[in-house]
Order: sequence, then C-alpha cells, then structure tokens
Amino acid sequence: MGNNQDSSIIDLRNLHKCYWVGTMPFPALHGLNLEIAAGEFAVVAGRSGSGKSTLLNIVGALESADSGSVEVLGQDILGMNSDQRTQFRLRNIGFVFQAYNLVRVFTARENVAYVCQLQGKSRKESMEIANHWLHEVEIGHLGYRRPDQLSGGQQQRVAVARALASNPKLILADEPTANLDSTTGRRLIRLMHELNHRFGTTFLISSHDPDVKQAAGRLIKLADGQIVDSWDEVPEPPQSLSSSCPSSHLPLGERVRNYIKLKRQSRGGKRRGGNQRRS
Amino acid sequence: MNQSTSTVINTILTVALRNLLAHRRRTFLTIGAIAVGLASLIFLWGFNEGLHRNMLGNFQDAIIGSIQIHHQGFFQHPELSKAIANPQKVVAALRQADVSRYSMRLESFGLAASDITTQGVMLIGMDPLREGEVTQLGKRIGIGRFLAPEDEYTIILGATTANNLQVKLGDEVVIIGYDRFGAMLAESFTLIGIITSGEMGLDKGMAITTLATLQQMVDMPDRVTTVVIGSDESRVPALTAELEAALQGERLEVMPWYAMFPVMKEWVSLHNGFLYLFLGVVLFIVLAGELNTLLISMLERTREFGVLMAIGTTGYQIAAILLVEAVVIGIVGIVSGILLGYVIVLFTGKYGIDLSILLGSTSRFYVDPLIHPHLKLDHLGITSGVILVASIFAGLYPAWRASKLQPVEAIRNG
Repeated sequence: MGNNQDSSIIDLRNLHKCYWVGTMPFPALHGLNLEIAAGEFAVVAGRSGSGKSTLLNIVGALESADSGSVEVLGQDILGMNSDQRTQFRLRNIGFVFQAYNLVRVFTARENVAYVCQLQGKSRKESMEIANHWLHEVEIGHLGYRRPDQLSGGQQQRVAVARALASNPKLILADEPTANLDSTTGRRLIRLMHELNHRFGTTFLISSHDPDVKQAAGRLIKLADGQIVDSWDEVPEPPQSLSSSCPSSHLPLGERVRNYIKLKRQSRGGKRRGGNQRRS
Repeated sequence: MNQSTSTVINTILTVALRNLLAHRRRTFLTIGAIAVGLASLIFLWGFNEGLHRNMLGNFQDAIIGSIQIHHQGFFQHPELSKAIANPQKVVAALRQADVSRYSMRLESFGLAASDITTQGVMLIGMDPLREGEVTQLGKRIGIGRFLAPEDEYTIILGATTANNLQVKLGDEVVIIGYDRFGAMLAESFTLIGIITSGEMGLDKGMAITTLATLQQMVDMPDRVTTVVIGSDESRVPALTAELEAALQGERLEVMPWYAMFPVMKEWVSLHNGFLYLFLGVVLFIVLAGELNTLLISMLERTREFGVLMAIGTTGYQIAAILLVEAVVIGIVGIVSGILLGYVIVLFTGKYGIDLSILLGSTSRFYVDPLIHPHLKLDHLGITSGVILVASIFAGLYPAWRASKLQPVEAIRNG
C-alpha cells in the first residue's frame, strides 16, 4: 500500500448519472457514495454496464454527473467549466485507456513528453522526464519507436509512462488489461502496483480481470450503478426511473422533440373530433 | 511570449506537421490541387494581361497614340477653327515632362472623289518623320508606301475607301475640304499608299497626307489641331495629370486614350471581371477540396483528439492544430502554384501563344494572333492572398468542430 493514506483524494456523495437514448433513460450511477484515500490502489469491479467507466469518467472530470457532489483532490469537479476541467486533468490526473490511445504520429518518447510540454516544460526537460518514465516502465530502449512498431503490452506501458509523466496525484485506468494477453496483463498490473508503492500515486482502476481484482488494495464492487458489499447482494433498484433519471435531465433537443410530438398529437385529436362532428 | 507558451505552440506545430506528413498522399494531393488551381489562374491572368497589352498597344500604335492634346472641345467637334493656339507651349511642356515621342497633326473632314464616286473621309496631315516615333501606321500600309517628308500632294487611303472609290496606286484622288472660315477647297492628290490593316477604324474613311501639304491646302501654315504622344502604358495617367497641370489656362484638353475611347477600357474591365468570376470558381473548388481533406482528417482523428483533450489539451489547442494544418497546406500550395504559374507565364511569354489557328481575323480587334502572356504583380498578389484566406476559411469549420468534441464521446465513438 502507498505511503500516504491519511487524506481522502476522492469523495463522491449521492452521485447520480443517467444516459438518454432518445427519450429512453438508462441509469448508470444511482446514489453512489465513495471515498478513496491518497495512495490507495483501488479497483472498481463489476459487470459490463455496471457503471465502472462512468464512475472513472466523472472522477476524471471527463463527464458531468446529473446530481450529487464530486470532490477530487479537494476540488469540486462539477462546478468547473470545460477549460478548468482540462487544466485540472493536465495538472492532477493521469489516464490509462483500454485501447492505449497513443498519438500515432509521435514516438513513444514524444507521446510521454507531450503532457509535460503541455504543462509548459521545455522540450529538453520533457524528453528527460519521458526517458525517465520509459525506463521506469522498463521500455527505455524503445523510446524512438512509434506506436505501430510496439506490441500491445509495450504500448500500454507507454500509456502508463505518459500517465505518470505529468506527476499526477491520481491515475485512472479504464480496463487497462482488457486488450492484453493474461501474462502481459499480469506484468502490467504488477508494474502499476509497484509504481503505486514506490511513488505513492493513487490508482483507481476499473476492471473485470480477476488478476487485477486480486492485486487490488481495495476492491470496490459495483452493480447497477451502486456499490455492493458482495456479489451475492442484489442492489436496491431505484424506486422509479424518475428518481434516478428525472425528465429535467433529458437533453434539451429531446425535450423540444417531445413537446412538438405532444402538440401534434393533441392537434390531431382535435381534428379527428371535428370530423366526427361533421359526419 | 514566455517559454511555456512557446513550448505549447511548438508542440501544436509539431502535431500538425507530423500529421500532414503522416498522410503524405492526401496532403500532397490537396497541395497539388491548390497549386494547379493557382497556377491556372496565374496563367490566365498572364494571358489576359498579354492580350490586353497586345490589343491596347496595337490600338494606340495604330493611329491614336497614348495621349492627345487638342484645343478644348476639338475631340467632340473637330473644326479647323479649333486649332492649338500656341503649339510651342505644348512642345515646351512635353520637354519639361521628358516626353520625346510626340507628333503634330492637322485634322479635318472632307470628301475624297475619284472619277466614279465620292466618299466622306477624315483628313489627317501628319509629320512623316515624327509620326513613326508615336504610331506604327507605316507598318499597316499593305500596298504602296508611307509618306515621305519631301512628298507634296500625295495621299494614303484605307483599303475600303480606295475600293469604294475604285482607285489604285498612282491614280488621282480629289480631296474637297473647307478652310477654317468654311470656304470650300479642292486639291488633287496622287494615291501612294493603301492601308490594309483589317482594322475597321483604319481601313475605312481615312485620308492621310503630309502635315505641310494639308497646312498649305487649308491655308494654315504652322498650325496644328492635335499633338499625339506615345508613352508607356503605366505612365499614361501620371503623364496626363502632369501635362494638364503644365498646360493649365491654355484652353487645351489633355486626353489619354481611355478618355477618347472608353469602350476599350471598359472591355478590358469586363474581361478582367470574367477572370474574377473564374477566380471565384477556383476559390470554391479550393475551399471545398481543402475542407473535405481537413474534415476527413478531423473525423479520422476524432478518437485521438478525444485522448489529447482527456490528457489536458484544450479545445483551442485542438482547433489550432487543424488551423495550422490548413495554413501550411495553403502556404505550400500557394508557393508551389506561384512557382508553377510563373514558369508557365515565363515560358509562354518568351515564345508566345499562337492563336491564328483558333481565331480568324483577330486584327479586327487590334489583336495579333501571337499572344505573349505577361504577369502583373498586383494580380499575383490578389490571387495568392485570396487563396490563402480561402485556405484558412476551409480550416475554420473542422477546427471549430474538433474544438467542440467531448473527450468521452470522441474516445468512445472515434
């Protein structure tokens, strides 16, 4: 476990998030409460559709919640505008994605150095930092290669190095081993675990990979948008859809479409009524 | 600019340039389309300019010169009573303006008569020595010869006039005219030359003799009605203004060719107008082509942009990447287009483009069938500038769309 677990780095209270497909609501998170301490190596596990990625996206200031409070590193994420969120991510959060998502036209070293350059560090300093982190993830000798010249495992190590290069306090990894074979996946998790131990960086990982769950310092079980104590537990369903997905959260376009549809229906009814009277 | 800003700018430039190089074929096709479009425009401008220079040069060389000076009102109502009062003052003004190519004329109207019929003509008395410095009328004499200083009562007619009168070289032609008081005069002339230019204005209705002969005939020794000046086209407006200033108060009119024959200038403007229309069409093609390239490039990289935004790149920076790509494509396309267009204009300008197969009697419009394209810098500047602006505009929409991407959506759907 990391060096500093005294203070809370993530504090989520009564978090609600709903997605809409047309007028059809899909609740993703339902009244979720979660606290993660600094230096934790936490894994969010759950089935597909349980809300793991949504949780990480909200914590990572990539997505908004419908209601509730989200404090990351003591800052209210939901109160930030788009630019403030971007700056917050740049300074405080590292991301590791399932599909590596490296910039194709950059070498491994340039991919890692990119965030440092965005932070305003000189190219030389950024490259030195990139070299350091590539060595830390044991691919220092592959810095000159482009992503298409690296294996999946190597690309994901570059992604981990990129996440660490900006010196973040929190790393969010969404299914980092999903595209890797089990040996490479295990190695990657071991590496992330080791980095967590050595540098005290907080890791919040979403995964349904048993190896990742096994390595977790803390396992957060998510089912139907709620945290459960055991997989046997069936979460309390929302009393009604309107409690987790109020229609006031329906996207504006859909609300306008609904209004027009209702208006047309009512007009059609009146017209039909008139015809009946005439006949 | 502080170091962190310049680092970020360098990073944006690097991403943009790397992406352009990563898709070389697409990039070079777009650059090629801009270059070919611009080169075509440059060539067309060059051809147009060559055609106009040729036509206006021939028009002025034929008989009217670049600028004419008359007594006020003479151009509208040519009468011998409106002779220039003091030709020496005009000559002094011309010397002061450093003009060496000028000639004096006496112009009137009359009837040319042969044994068979008569024909209305414009009578022009020319100085045979000085006229060659201003116009090239001598070169348009297809039958016979031009006037010589020692000639007396010799005459040159246009081919149509000679044909109507049914006269040939050496025949006698009687010219009936009026003196400055309106008294009728008649003199016999010998036909020594026939103008066969093919130009309507020259071949019909013109009778040319020496200045001395006409002065003697109308009893106006040393008097002239017209001073014809030859000048470079670019100097005509300034020279006109300079002469007007120098001759202020002399009751003279200083008329550049385009004031005497505005239809020629309007024709040139109309012709240029067509080219501006063509420029609009090419601009649209450039805009659509580049917009298409950048939009495809943006859509292909939606996921990448989503990732870049997730790790801390702002929407403005993403937009800047696409705008840099648009500007680079535009600038490289423009430089290539200028080089290509310049080489084409240089080559065709040197050897000329022979249109004699395509066109019939171009001489009717004072146009030689061999056109030498010539490039004017203002046309080059306007065309290149407009295409650069179009390139930037082409980048605006994809840049705006990319800047509005939501990272999660972009990563998920890209």
